[in-house]
This record gives sequence, structure tokens and C-alpha cells, in this order.
Amino acid sequence: MIATIRSRPLYLIPAVIIGLALLAFIGYFVVYNIYAFALFRFPFDYDQGEGFELVDTILFSRGEWPYRSNDSYPFYSSNYPPVFHIVIVPLVWLFGPHYWTGRLVSYVGTLITAVAIGYAVQRVGRRWWLSLLTGLAFLASNYVYHVGPLFRQHMFMVMLETVAIVLLAVTFDKEEADGRHYNKRILVVMVLLLLAGYTKQLAYATVIATFGFMFLRDWKRALKWAIPFGLATGAVFLLLNIATDGEWFVATVTANVNEFIEGQAIGLYKQWFSLHTVLIVVAVLTVVYELYFSRLSAYAIWFVVAAVNGATAGKWGAGESYFATAIAASCILTGVAFNLVLNKITGSDLAPRRKLWVHMIVLSLIGGLFLVQADKVFHMPTHSPLLRSIAVALGKPTEQWVPPQTSCSADLPPESIPYVDNVAAGLLGRPPNSADIAAGKRIAHLVAEGNTPAFSEEAGFNLFIGRDVVTNPTQLLNLYKNDRVDLTDMLAMLDAQAFDTIVFRAQFYPPPVLDVIGQRYVTTDLEQMNGFVYCILRPRNLVATVP
Amino acid sequence: MITKRQLGLGLLIIAITGIVALLTVDLVGAGAFQGIGPAQRLGLLACGIVALTGATLIPLGDKPA
Repeated sequence: MIATIRSRPLYLIPAVIIGLALLAFIGYFVVYNIYAFALFRFPFDYDQGEGFELVDTILFSRGEWPYRSNDSYPFYSSNYPPVFHIVIVPLVWLFGPHYWTGRLVSYVGTLITAVAIGYAVQRVGRRWWLSLLTGLAFLASNYVYHVGPLFRQHMFMVMLETVAIVLLAVTFDKEEADGRHYNKRILVVMVLLLLAGYTKQLAYATVIATFGFMFLRDWKRALKWAIPFGLATGAVFLLLNIATDGEWFVATVTANVNEFIEGQAIGLYKQWFSLHTVLIVVAVLTVVYELYFSRLSAYAIWFVVAAVNGATAGKWGAGESYFATAIAASCILTGVAFNLVLNKITGSDLAPRRKLWVHMIVLSLIGGLFLVQADKVFHMPTHSPLLRSIAVALGKPTEQWVPPQTSCSADLPPESIPYVDNVAAGLLGRPPNSADIAAGKRIAHLVAEGNTPAFSEEAGFNLFIGRDVVTNPTQLLNLYKNDRVDLTDMLAMLDAQAFDTIVFRAQFYPPPVLDVIGQRYVTTDLEQMNGFVYCILRPRNLVATVP
Repeated sequence: MITKRQLGLGLLIIAITGIVALLTVDLVGAGAFQGIGPAQRLGLLACGIVALTGATLIPLGDKPA
């Protein structure tokens, strides 16, 4: 009977639908690599702040702390914990201070996260195509795509969180199966969580989820682990604070107290849902099922806590990447849920013919849902004829019209960008090209015409010509808002026109700094890189003397 | 091991505490809005969902959470 049905063309339907879904997500993986490898070749900031993470790495490679006073030259401090940068240090020792080092580590981190997601799903059902789809669905998220290959620590934190939670779930399953504790494995989970927290503070959500899960399963054991974990976390914090004369606290706590923008948080929640609808709906249904009809898994608790923590994306300076942890959790829950449904069908006592039909219909539905999800996250560069043809064949636009973003020049008309994305009008995601590299080199050349480092909003230009990196503007702004920086020396140097060049992109500096620059410097050149206008300013007295 | 009843009671207590805290925010002069602001509304909605979840878990008794 089964052989008869298998031989019918109808049986091919689920195979074709799942095959198309695999093709779509493998396509996204190709697109992700196009973007990543373009970024590896790009020697300047693509996202504002990348260069400062490189500076942190350089300082660590010299045995220096990046947590220092902003009151005196070079007015630089970092607001990020050290783990990500320390991991990159060997690459800087071997190959020098290049942007690709951190971008590569972050990119590899996203691949490890996808493998961990796939592994978690594979354990439940041993369906390679479902494990592959869920791992690739994580990489296909617009948010993961945008920030995955950047020199930013966020996705490295997500990697550590994901590996920790998967190991936690695997360990508890094994403990319950074997009737004994595997404390060494739990210790590894704790170390991973500690590393995640000292990669980026946001990992506290996964720490809460971990102890929440342990509390539900064995509250005494949860408390026994929470106490040493808390002590170890506190001890590292205290040591860092002592080693940096208190600058660690100012840099990583005070400078991260920003205003909450409610509209930004709500807007990002809506966008997250509209882009990841299938993953979120299936994850929520799985949580409800576990809550009422089964036991809450580590993944379900992790998803809920991470989704609630997404609200912190409304902080000034935060953004879409704050949902990456919830996306990883939703991918695992989706794969687990589909596996459980398929397992249920396989193990049911339905008549073989009916079972096969139900199986076929459910497989088709699962494949169809992944196709819907693939359409939801649509994004692809269209700079080559092949990619443009694919976009046309899929009925998608082949370009976006976006005005260059400027804070320091007249508004410019919209320009065609060879990149399309369901996240409307964003500038992240378009692979940087040779024109962007040439623009960056022209800015660096303008800086090199002077004798001093540039007072620049991005570190890349000074790094490119081997000069000091001066200031970390967002850090200065955060500290200024919290009344924790003394700008006297900086304002005096700017008033005396001690810097030959100023480079603006977004004018993130504190208002008094912008005021004195406006009085003492004048815009001489405009350059456009990655869709942003960079304004190059020179001292007014110097410009006035040029005939 | 925590049971569904214990989890339900825990969630209910957390939600009620949250609702009381959100409603007393105005009494101590915090918040930028007169009356119930948009953030408070969202908070109250979240607490309501948590309370409802907690209340519906209580009848499930000693099953493991």
C-alpha cells in the first residue's frame, strides 16, 4: 500500500515544498556570505562604532585597558566588556589591527549559533532537513544578516548564550534519563554565561532564563549554583573596577544609562513580529503547549525572557540586534515543535495509509510555513546581473531609493541603492563596494594632509594612516548626559584649533563640543561612503589664510 | 521540583505586585504623563496576561511545571 502511494506524483509535493524552502534559505546563506566577504575587504567603519571596538582590541593587545578617563587626551573610553575583544587579540598580534579580524570572529560566531540551533533541533527528531532549515532561518533573519559580520560584540554574546542554553537542556535531559547529576557540564554552562555577560551586559536575560529553568526543575540546586555564580560575577566586576581605578564602572554602567524611547521599542517589536511571524507564532504556541500540557523547557523560558528583554531595544543607542537572542530561541522552539508533531504522527496508531497521508500533509504545511517565513525576511543585494535577475524572477524590486543620511550638509535627493530589504529604507545590509573604499581612502588622505590626528566620529581614518584615535563620541555623549565627564581640556584644544581635521558623520558629540567646533572650524569637503555623508572640517583661521 | 500550582501562584503574586506598583507610580510623582501613561498601559496589559496565565495554572495542581 505504502509503496503504491510513494510511487504517486502526489507524494512528491512535500518533497518539492521542503526542497524549495531549503533552496530559499540556502540562497539567504549565499547572500549572507556575499555581504560578509564584502565587509571583510572593507577597511573602514561600516557601522558607526566598529572602529572603537577595534581600538579596544588594539589596547588589549598592548596590555592596556580601554576603560579610562574621558577628561584628558585622547578622550577615549569604551563602554563594552572585554571578552569579545580579548578573543580577537591573537588575530591582531598575527595580522595587525584590521577590521576583518573582528568581523570574521563575529561571523564565525553566527555560524556556531546556527549549528547549535540545528543540533538542538536534530536531537529531538533526527530530521536533517528540519535541523538545517532552523539553523539557516536564524542566519536568514534580517537582524542577524545586518549585524552578523560586523565588528560588534553582540552576535558573539548570542553565540555564547545559545551554546549555554543548548548545553543546559542537553544536560538536564541526560540527568533525568540517567538519574544522576552532571555538575561538570553545568559548570561549563555557568562559565559560558559568565563569558556571555562579560561580552555584553545584555546576556543577563539568558542568565535569568537559565536559573529560572533550573529553579523549576530543582529549586535547591538552582540556589546552590546561583550563589557561586553571583559571587564569581561580582568578583570579576570588582577586580576590573580596582584594576581600572573605578573607570570600569563609569564606562560600562554609568555610560549605559540612556533614556528609553517608547516609540522606538514599540516600533521594533512590531517590526520583529512582522519579519519573523512564523517563527514567533510557532514559538508562542509551543510555550503555551508546554505551559499547560507538558513541562516548560529551557528553550521556552529562554524565548519568553529574551522576548520581554527585547523592550530594552528602546534605549537610545540600542536597536534591532537586541532581538537576536529571541530569534535564536524561536528558531529552536519552531524546530522542536515541528519535530514533536512529526514524531507524534510517526508514533500514532493510525492506519498506515491514513498515517502516510497525514504525514504528507503536515510535511507540506511545514515546508509551506518555512517558505512564508523566507518571504517575510526577504533581503538581497542586487549589484550583479545574476542577483538582479533572481530578484526580478521572485517578483521583488531590484533597488531601493534612499537619500544619503547627513547631519552636516544640505539634504540630498534619494539615490538608487542596489539592495532590497523588507526592513524599510535601512542602510545596513548593502555590501560595501570599491566606491565606498575609495571614498574612505579620500577621507583618510584629507586627514593625512594635516599633521595631527583627526577629531573624528569614526576611528577608521586615523587607524588607516597610523595616527591616534581621538574620542569615542557616543560614550562622551552618554557620560555628558549623566554629568560624568569634564570637557574642559577637550573644549580648550578645539578652541585653540589643535586638531587639523574634524570628521563628522552623525554629530553624536555633546552639544558644547559641537558648539565650539561650529565656532572654530568650517566645512571644506563632503564625501559619501556607505550611504552616509561625511563632513570634513578644517580650522577657520587656516582656511581663511588659503588664497 | 516546582508544580504548576506553585508556578501559577508565583506568577499571580508577581503580576499583582506589578499592577500595584504601576498604579502607585503616579502617587509618588514619577512618570511624564498625567493619569495612566502609554508605558503604564503596556505594563498593565503585560501584568494582566501574567495574572491570567498564573490563575489558569493553579487548577493544574501538582503536575511538574
